[in-house]
Amino acid sequence: MKPAPFDYYSPDTLEEAVALLAKLENEDLDAKILAGGQSLMPMLSLRLARPDALVDLRKIGALDYIREDGDTIAIGAMTSKSAAEDSDVIRTRQPLFHEATLLVGHRQIRNRGTVGGSFAHAEPTAEYGAAAMVLGMDMKVVGPNGERIVPAKDFYVTYLTADIDSTEILTEVRLPVLKKGTGWSFQEMSRRQGDHALAGAAVTLRLVGGVCKDVCIAVFGVNASPTRLAEAEAFITGKAATEDNAREAGRVGADGLEEPMSDVHATAQYRRGLIATLVARCLVEAASRAS
Amino acid sequence: MSIEIPGLPEDMPGAELKYVGKDVKRIEDPGLVAGTVEFIDNLDLPNMAHCAMLRSPHPHARITGYDTSAAEALPGVVAVITGEDVKRWANPVTTAPEGWGSYCLAVDKVRFVGEPVVAVAAESRYIAEDALELVNVEYELLPVAATAEEAIKEGAPRLFEENESNVILSKTYDWGDVDQVFADADHVVSETFFWNRVGANPMETFGCVSTWDTVNNSLTIHGSFQTPGFMALGRAFSLNLPTNKVKVVSHPHGGSFGGKGGPRGSEISSLLSRKAGGRAVKYIEDRVEYLLAGAGQSWDRYYDASLALKADGTVTGFKVKLLDDQGAGAEGYGTISIAKPIAAFTGCYRIEAARYDLNVVATNRAPTYPYRGYGPPPHNYVLESLMDIAAQKLGLDVAEIRRRNYIPPEAFPYTIPSGNEYDSGQYEVTLDAALELADYEALREEQARAREEGRLLGIGVCSVVEPGVFDWNAYTTVGIQGVGVPEGAKVSVDIMGQITVTVGFSLEGQGQYTLAAQLVADFFGVDMAGVRVAYAATDVAPPHFGPGGSRLGVSITGAVLGACRKIEEKFKLVTARLMQCEPAALELADGFVRIKGVPGAEMHIAQVAGTMLARSDLLPPGMEQSPEATYVWTAPGRTEPDEQGRCKSYLTAANACHVVMVEIDPGTGRTDILKYCVADDCGTRLNPATVEGQLMGGIAQGIGAALFEEYVYTDDGQPKVSTFAEYLVPTIHEVPKTDKAVIVTPSPFTPLGAKGCGEGAIHTTPAVIMCAINDALLPLGVQARATPASPNRVWDLLQQAK
Repeated sequence: MKPAPFDYYSPDTLEEAVALLAKLENEDLDAKILAGGQSLMPMLSLRLARPDALVDLRKIGALDYIREDGDTIAIGAMTSKSAAEDSDVIRTRQPLFHEATLLVGHRQIRNRGTVGGSFAHAEPTAEYGAAAMVLGMDMKVVGPNGERIVPAKDFYVTYLTADIDSTEILTEVRLPVLKKGTGWSFQEMSRRQGDHALAGAAVTLRLVGGVCKDVCIAVFGVNASPTRLAEAEAFITGKAATEDNAREAGRVGADGLEEPMSDVHATAQYRRGLIATLVARCLVEAASRAS
Repeated sequence: MSIEIPGLPEDMPGAELKYVGKDVKRIEDPGLVAGTVEFIDNLDLPNMAHCAMLRSPHPHARITGYDTSAAEALPGVVAVITGEDVKRWANPVTTAPEGWGSYCLAVDKVRFVGEPVVAVAAESRYIAEDALELVNVEYELLPVAATAEEAIKEGAPRLFEENESNVILSKTYDWGDVDQVFADADHVVSETFFWNRVGANPMETFGCVSTWDTVNNSLTIHGSFQTPGFMALGRAFSLNLPTNKVKVVSHPHGGSFGGKGGPRGSEISSLLSRKAGGRAVKYIEDRVEYLLAGAGQSWDRYYDASLALKADGTVTGFKVKLLDDQGAGAEGYGTISIAKPIAAFTGCYRIEAARYDLNVVATNRAPTYPYRGYGPPPHNYVLESLMDIAAQKLGLDVAEIRRRNYIPPEAFPYTIPSGNEYDSGQYEVTLDAALELADYEALREEQARAREEGRLLGIGVCSVVEPGVFDWNAYTTVGIQGVGVPEGAKVSVDIMGQITVTVGFSLEGQGQYTLAAQLVADFFGVDMAGVRVAYAATDVAPPHFGPGGSRLGVSITGAVLGACRKIEEKFKLVTARLMQCEPAALELADGFVRIKGVPGAEMHIAQVAGTMLARSDLLPPGMEQSPEATYVWTAPGRTEPDEQGRCKSYLTAANACHVVMVEIDPGTGRTDILKYCVADDCGTRLNPATVEGQLMGGIAQGIGAALFEEYVYTDDGQPKVSTFAEYLVPTIHEVPKTDKAVIVTPSPFTPLGAKGCGEGAIHTTPAVIMCAINDALLPLGVQARATPASPNRVWDLLQQAK
């Protein structure tokens, strides 16, 4: 369990890093960005990933920040997940993102793993994917031709693939703060505390006259990328979030999924069942938090 | 010479015990906490090379060719070995029944995914792994026997082609008139059970550093060995060396639980060292290697079992048919784990007749190895589940049916139908203690309320016997010979009166060094902090086995106290001569040899030892100048088994009753443990904190087996588990706090009355959790009969019930 040989770079600035990626690309070398290493290092050790070069962003302190910008929170890509966990701003102004953060691995993993690293890695079981989808987050990506903003709905391409070119770096994620009165919930099922989720769901909604409005439901851990459940959203919109309605919305959402993943812990059918359960529970909890 | 070893703590010399029976702090811990303990990967020998192994990607294939030339040419590569070298230099392991053991590297064919095929030694592990990518092995794929059921079919592909079939052992044991008791029964309950493959996962995997001295043709292996003497002996046979030319140095290791699969790793690194002209070669097994093909897989079983019952709930007969998947041969002493349940076959109960019908089969899965408990945990799961099924059939409470069948306290020592003798016990007292601790009636009331709300609450009550202090005679019946497992200790008093205990096993986590120090300190009446416990490598150690079979606590107590007694006798002879009194007038207390009842008439043990070492003129005639003694203890009264495997095998029978409440989440199939209560009787507790640690560890591993852990294979024999993302060991979050009650029924047969308790709760926990889950599922009409009861499995049952 030792990595195959690779060249290692640790640029001091974002500009250097971007220039380095362009240079490596020109030389036809396969470079991987190291942003905490909680996923990449095991893949290297198992020789599942065999890049020619690693570009480590750890020295780029300018990418480590949590900033409030009006009704948006901007998180630098190299901010550790434990910094996000400890942030009062995130906890009080965007509790759904905070809850998602708490469910990522264990504290030791969150100390080393970065927010940007998780988004860029686009692991299907990553909590942040569903958070991005329901919150409508934006990703800032910087490359040789400057920066571009990618909305969450376009960011996830497929399994372990986000819309980031091999010469680009994800530098920041932006999340809107939770609007007053919005109810939210984030739940997952994992075998043990801190494990990859077998399935998970995130919900935001408002209650107007006792019925659900502006419902966003996203699930993760079931398909290659986090998925919005439009049919379930449509079903519950305009209805009260009773146990029965929520259960039916969960069923509608689960039935509408593409064939879920299957692995040693969970069959596709079981994952579908979990989504029905979790969506229903999230809807009830979110409604209980809405005002 | 007969040595009288104290049978109870009050038989120790001196008025008061300061250490034995107390929660003393472990002498092992300062080094562990400070990081100064030399685990094997910390060992760096001069000019040492590093080993990596190319492993089979196929479950079953013939090797038709090797090309290692590119690997040999890679700069930094020191040596490469293949099955051809092994065929020339080594033999198959001797720990399997004849014809069912493998060579350390695949010879001619591979039989499981992960089997080592080619090994490389290089200047670093990185280079060694790079070199593996340059090796080319040609395979001709063979049909696969992926499960035991497939492997016993007519025409199944044979793993060991020189054998007639894949059946390693097929045997039926009959104890009592089984057919008659089943014919006479008022009721018979039967069920089938799957116990899926689980095993040991110590924090530290196996590791070793081997040095083949090509001048003296001798071998030294440093490593994380649980049973060093036994390992040295085995390597001598496998590697064609005289037994006195193999030295094993066991380093402190991070747990074992039976899973440190030393044989293959130490033989491969030794042969690499031989090929590299005697350079030391280190092999550190990584977790992927461990999970795929280490010694971490055990107990892959299908049971079909029945109980014969009388109308009043008396159990009269127990029949077990077992189909056991050993994996690719029986190299890991695999047949032993089938035989061990014979030592407590009928559990806590008076069951007059029993039958054990075995089919032990080779398949293209990884070979199985020992795991804590060594076979009985699945057996107990079967017996205890049947007791619950019987209770339902008769409308009895699960505690009540057990109570009606216990062996009563006055019946001990009690010989069970399968031949072993239980030393002592008070099973009903243990049950009542557990029920009281749990407030069982209140739990049942809570369950009734929860059921009305549609919640799935279940309660399990299980009583189990833990056979302790193993003896090889238990395994004669499956081809392993021997009666008596020696454990030796040397106790030495130096010229300054400082005491050293020398033993043949190294630190593994259970605290036996502390126990040795406690015993010596109390025996001589000295400060425990002054007692040193030293490890001796196999070339100089007294006869020993080490931890295993819940024996070392009892065995080392016997060995240390035996050695202390011998010294006491010598010291009294010397002192009697100097003080001109009879030896019988003397007593040993507080670090002095004293004339009883004469204040001030005493010599400190330093004076006695100093006299012995420096003043031969003052010694009794013919006395050796040796203030030290070695004593080798073994369990007394062991017998050779008869044709039905019946013998006195395990010396002690500890007993526990666990009461557990679980709740199943109907939406996810997840099981949460709400309450866990244990009443436990392992006789005299020499260090109660250590006993509690053993108990908790066993509960954790039992929870793993019941809810989380499983080595999964595909239908074509490919393992789906290769990392801890697939193999889920419970963590602190998954192991509940427990309430505990202590019952002490000393053993009449052991030093100080202690019973083996090292394997502990793993005997009970899987059974009680499965029973609780099934109690929770009872209203739905479905039952979980396969372990682990993973959320997916339980969810599937919940769908069936809809």
